Amino acid sequence: MNQLLMNNQVMIYLLMEVIVSVMLLIALYWAIKMLISWDFGSFSTAQYRLEKRSYLVSTILLFSFVVKFFLLIYFVFTIDSISILIPGAMCAAGVVSANDYGMQLLLTKLLILFFMLLWMSINSYDMRAKNYPLFRFKQVIFLIIFMMVAIEGYLDIEYFTHIDIRQPVSCCSTLYGQLEGSNPLPFGLDIRNLMILFYMIYTLLMVTLWYKYRIVTIVLAVLFIFISYYGVVYLFGTYVYRLPTHKCPFCMMQREYYFIGYLIWGTLFIGSYQAIISSFINLYTKSDILYNERRAMVLLSIFVAVCSSYVALYYLQNGVFL
Amino acid sequence: MMSPIIVVERLYRKFTLGVESITVLEDIDLTIDRGECIVLKGISGSGKTTLLSIMAGLDKPTEGNVIIDSESIAKLPDLHISKFRAKKIGMIFQHFNLLEHLSVWDNVLVPLVPMGIDMDRAREMIESSLALANISHKSDTLASRLSGGEKQRVAIARALVSNPEIILCDEPTANLDLGNSVKFIEILQKLHSLGKTIVVATHDPLFDNLPFESRVIPMANGKIETDI
Repeated sequence: MNQLLMNNQVMIYLLMEVIVSVMLLIALYWAIKMLISWDFGSFSTAQYRLEKRSYLVSTILLFSFVVKFFLLIYFVFTIDSISILIPGAMCAAGVVSANDYGMQLLLTKLLILFFMLLWMSINSYDMRAKNYPLFRFKQVIFLIIFMMVAIEGYLDIEYFTHIDIRQPVSCCSTLYGQLEGSNPLPFGLDIRNLMILFYMIYTLLMVTLWYKYRIVTIVLAVLFIFISYYGVVYLFGTYVYRLPTHKCPFCMMQREYYFIGYLIWGTLFIGSYQAIISSFINLYTKSDILYNERRAMVLLSIFVAVCSSYVALYYLQNGVFL
Repeated sequence: MMSPIIVVERLYRKFTLGVESITVLEDIDLTIDRGECIVLKGISGSGKTTLLSIMAGLDKPTEGNVIIDSESIAKLPDLHISKFRAKKIGMIFQHFNLLEHLSVWDNVLVPLVPMGIDMDRAREMIESSLALANISHKSDTLASRLSGGEKQRVAIARALVSNPEIILCDEPTANLDLGNSVKFIEILQKLHSLGKTIVVATHDPLFDNLPFESRVIPMANGKIETDI
């Protein structure tokens, strides 16, 4: 058996994933039953029973998704902490690249997070309405989530069982330095133009969120995640590490950087997801869920403020940029 | 022609006790017109209180529908049913259900709190409902210091404070002496003259043949026996 599977944190992580999956499996059984038999116009005993059951299923799902959100953070924390067991790995970046499944698993988790937030927003709207207007849509989203969780479970097993602790891996310094000489930034941008684009998209996003230009908001939010990833790895991160050659998305999650990576990535992803989801739901339902858009604005502003403050502080302390 | 304000359609309510299913209401059909005063009569366990609770949105049916003022309430989620009840329905309970450590004034204020009414308007509404229930002189007294009859009048004031169209009374005179019961009926008559729709669930013979009541509906074993 792979020695890594006997690691306490990996065991806790996998065990929690199994528990959540069992809860989701129970919810899946009822979700399918509800999808088949649901008829809100009926006043039959069976329909009343389904409506009561739908509260239970929503509660199970809400609880499971909150646990899965914390499990995502715990997963990053776990792979970061096991980096000491793997030769060559200095942080989670090395552990993720230990085999082909790592990056697929991380992307699947980020996709699941998006759909979980989408489900939560739809559920919140549906529960406040009088006649469950998005009930079927909500269940379909859950089915998609369940399929992705099944894939995630498979990737979890494959990933942890295929990490060879005797096999050296590349850590962030080589991973992100291997393109030295070539331009790793998208669209042939240089750092200066990347930053102009970063602040411009952020400003436009705030304007479109405020004035509710929903389709534009969705496009801008997707673009903002993309540009911000490069912004954090290739500029803001170097100010977090105070080293121009240290380009890593994971090291900033370590204790020595005060776990700031969790705040940076958390506010970026959740803020952008909220912007996309609230705009999408408001378009779909022709309603106005203001608080979600405001929450997105607050989270994205925190993200930009935290990132910018590292650059500003460095400049104030040293009088130069990196 | 008067329009129906309460419509009950094919209503069933069953409770499950272990493996046993107890049918408390069975195939109830009932239409109550605006401004009517209805008395649901029956012995304990006949299903009067359950029917009243479902009409008030305090309980959900197992089958069937309840329409109040053209809106189906049987399936309204809790959040909506609370708002609906606060606006449309005043409920008077057998055991008064007052908050004993609060004053009469505060007890009557309670239903207005979730409605977000400003204090000046709330003061007017409370004063008017206390006057209608003849309990204005006790407005500063703690509910725990009131007699049964006075508590019942506070419960009436509380039910009336939001000026609901429908008043539902569950065994309103069960804990009152004869004098207070008669006073309660006088208040009920006053409310009826104001155009309120009143439904009283009771087994008190005092409610037989009241001059202002529209119908007496006998109930037994969860069914309406005859709707006269």
